[in-house]
Amino acid sequence: MTTLNLDFSLNYKAFNFTINQTINLTGITGIFGHSGSGKSTLLRAIAGLEKKVSGSIIFDEKTLFDTTKNLCEKPERRSISLVFQDSRLFPHLTVLDNLKYAAKRCVNSQLNITDIVKLTELDELTDANVEDLSSGQKQRVALARALLTEPKLLLLDEPLSALDQSSKTKLLSLIVKVQQQLDLPILYVSHSIDELQQVCDNMLILSQGKVMNYGNIHQTIHQLNFLSASSPSEQLIHQQTSLSLPIASTDNGQGLMVLTLAEQEILLPRMQGKFIKQQHLRCFILASDISICLSEPQNSTIVNHLLGSISSIESSSTDESTHSVLVTVVCSGQEFFVHISTFSQQKLALCINQQVYLQFKAGAVRTYLY
Amino acid sequence: MPSPDLLALAVTLKMAALTTVILLLIGTPLAWYLAKMTSRFKVIIEAIVALPLVLPPTVLGFYLLIAFSPQHLPGEIWQQVTGQQLAFSFSAIVIGSVLYSLPFVVQPLQKAFEQLGGSLLEAGAMLGAGPIDRFFTIVLPLTKASFITAASLGFAHTVGEFGVILMIGGNIPGETRVLSIALFDHVEAFDYAKAHVLAISLLIGSMILLAGVYLLNLPRYATGKRAN
Repeated sequence: MTTLNLDFSLNYKAFNFTINQTINLTGITGIFGHSGSGKSTLLRAIAGLEKKVSGSIIFDEKTLFDTTKNLCEKPERRSISLVFQDSRLFPHLTVLDNLKYAAKRCVNSQLNITDIVKLTELDELTDANVEDLSSGQKQRVALARALLTEPKLLLLDEPLSALDQSSKTKLLSLIVKVQQQLDLPILYVSHSIDELQQVCDNMLILSQGKVMNYGNIHQTIHQLNFLSASSPSEQLIHQQTSLSLPIASTDNGQGLMVLTLAEQEILLPRMQGKFIKQQHLRCFILASDISICLSEPQNSTIVNHLLGSISSIESSSTDESTHSVLVTVVCSGQEFFVHISTFSQQKLALCINQQVYLQFKAGAVRTYLY
Repeated sequence: MPSPDLLALAVTLKMAALTTVILLLIGTPLAWYLAKMTSRFKVIIEAIVALPLVLPPTVLGFYLLIAFSPQHLPGEIWQQVTGQQLAFSFSAIVIGSVLYSLPFVVQPLQKAFEQLGGSLLEAGAMLGAGPIDRFFTIVLPLTKASFITAASLGFAHTVGEFGVILMIGGNIPGETRVLSIALFDHVEAFDYAKAHVLAISLLIGSMILLAGVYLLNLPRYATGKRAN
């Protein structure tokens, strides 16, 4: 497996960044954090665009950078490409010439422009002036251009941030398609957990210039839930349950899609798009959208109810004034996170290992992509 | 034998063309360096580059005359290498013009490089382009208008030179006698008819050149648009 060994620090007057982490480059790795956490700095250092770095970066057993050996591979020779937040297309060239610019400088080029144009759905825009494109189109050109350098690692720096919602979902599905077709490892920087939850396999969480967590996407999101519970002032994300479950039926005949959770089922509104049975669907349920019942709800419009047992009850350790707790309930081996008031917790006398029913509406099962 | 005024025109054009080429070769890296420079010495270099804008040309000419004389090191070295005296030569007026017109080339280029910024160059690096490649394929096409402006202003200002040339070049026909000096000679000799011809030619020529520069810098003609 390709790995990226990062062991460096970077000091600016008001900002220090330190990392010592090995990243396994499979699929898409998300890099999450708030502004000022060092996400973009990390990408720029990997790409070779940051000057004041000290330490080492080893990518696929090749040293890109090592201050002790006085070694620093130039950015244009790292076989790494970066798609910037602001596209940075060359305004004096047409779309096609922007693409050719990259293709011409690619040694041993395997990909051809026509294929990449097709893949990124730019067929009708090749002759356009880049300044006449919408933000979404610009980012697609920037992505296509980066792909044509045939990088061994693709870095995406908040590629969706300037786009409207429909362009966001379109580009996001394109990124997934590109990753799968070209089998290209991607590091994807974003401050939106919803974007990352949809596409990433692993996630690295940065906070104030340090790595806070790294691991499987669902697990890291769930760990963020606890962090947000223990110190609500540092709320990083909306507490949620992050799921990837096989589709049992794309339409149950009543406009609902059915997902399998071991012997139980989760229903959600049917979605546009090509889905096939057994395909895994990424979705999430906000902790505030789930409620707890002591007995199985019978006469309710709420369609989802899962049986599980409480594994933990977390209350804020730092803030006494928040009258709420985060309850973790394990249903068929899957952890669910439920945000309830301390009042409700005491009223139902909830305790560890207690059997409860979770209930949530079909509409509470969300996906960002579809 | 061509008329003395045509000869002066030839010397002027030759001097201005050579000066412009040298200025672009020196001015481009200097402007680039100034645009990227963050050290506090930047202001000192900028001030030195801008000096000819405010200094009386005779001051610059006076110091150059002293430097170019065989009694001083630059003049002495020149004489040893070329076997000829530097002061009162064509080379002297070209060197003088380069210094005198330096701000007219460096300033527009520096401004253009500063405006261009580093973001498109970073994008170029991410597509595998090295520094020289990036200069010719990104910087040059995007700052083309500023290069033309710089070259035109440098050329026009050199054509319009008088004081420096008079100090270091004198008035040698075919060598250092340029149009502005020929004009001065005609006036001194009360030959106003010939003076008129030269004056109106210089006026119209400069006017056309400057109008061309301003036309080029109109937004709809400017090709060096900045990307966001």
